[in-house]
Amino acid sequence: MKRNRSLDDKVRNYLNRLFAGVGESQQLFDLKEELTINLKEKIRDYEKHGMGEEEAFKEAISSMGDLSGLVDDMREVGKDSAREAVYTSMAERISTAGLIVGILIILFGILTMAMLYFMEVPLVSVTGPGIFIVIGGAILTYSFLARETKNKYAMNKIRATLYALAVGLILFSLYTATSSGVATGEMFIAISSFMVFFIAGVGVFLGLIFTGSNRNK
Amino acid sequence: MANKISTDLIRGHTDTIILNILRQGDSYGYQIFKTIIDLSNQQYELKEATLYTAFRRLEKEGLIVSYWGDETQGGRRKYYRIAEDGLARYEQNKKDWEFAKSVLNKLIKGGVEKDEA
Repeated sequence: MKRNRSLDDKVRNYLNRLFAGVGESQQLFDLKEELTINLKEKIRDYEKHGMGEEEAFKEAISSMGDLSGLVDDMREVGKDSAREAVYTSMAERISTAGLIVGILIILFGILTMAMLYFMEVPLVSVTGPGIFIVIGGAILTYSFLARETKNKYAMNKIRATLYALAVGLILFSLYTATSSGVATGEMFIAISSFMVFFIAGVGVFLGLIFTGSNRNK
Repeated sequence: MANKISTDLIRGHTDTIILNILRQGDSYGYQIFKTIIDLSNQQYELKEATLYTAFRRLEKEGLIVSYWGDETQGGRRKYYRIAEDGLARYEQNKKDWEFAKSVLNKLIKGGVEKDEA
């Protein structure tokens, strides 16, 4: 297993050197993956025919032919993605702003509720600002999912919006349950108003989970 | 390989060769490379550099599509599948080849009849 590891590193190092200075792009990432696995298989074949690992590695590389055309091709793609990076950073800034705004709105909701609670106003009024937690939660969900991280690609905007809607509905169901429950003092009213939005929210959520694709990089 | 096929001669046919392999089943880079050697009875080896450049071109033109295999061990392979347009292109190229071959045969081997006027 140790031997596999070192061969893996060797092939990856070779490809990283070959494509050194080429702008990062999804296509470059994919091409390197493709070349890595195919090269490894070729090296294994050479080894089966009696070559040592070092010899097999060198032979596999040199028999590939002139890869400069492919490198140039990737360099062009990399240039395009540098232009895209401007857009990406814009989307990222919006997402960052969303995260901050979402958290602030939630804090505002919680603190207002706490304040009202200690002002000894009727309990019904205390639950009112809970709506801020609902709104903040939805914004937070969207901003979190629409963000590209080191390991995951950003979710597309429509799916992220639907996730935000699902979370919003579920939070809203809790909000209506507490406020209607507190207002009437009846548990069955709380549950009945809870379930409408909760079921809708869970429905959207399940639909999203079953249709999801892998965003791992 | 005492007799070699010149790169000039084969260059125009790289795409057709790849399409011919893919129309008989999905495949991945190294396997296609080996299949070409086998098909030529070890008489011809298409360089991988040429092969990967051709994959990119063919995919851009919509003649082939790629997808990642689901191997769990040792990383995933990138497979290629022929598209509808690729199949049509293959048939056209084959016809063109048949035609070119017959004309070239005449041009290269044909004897010139002197018209004794």
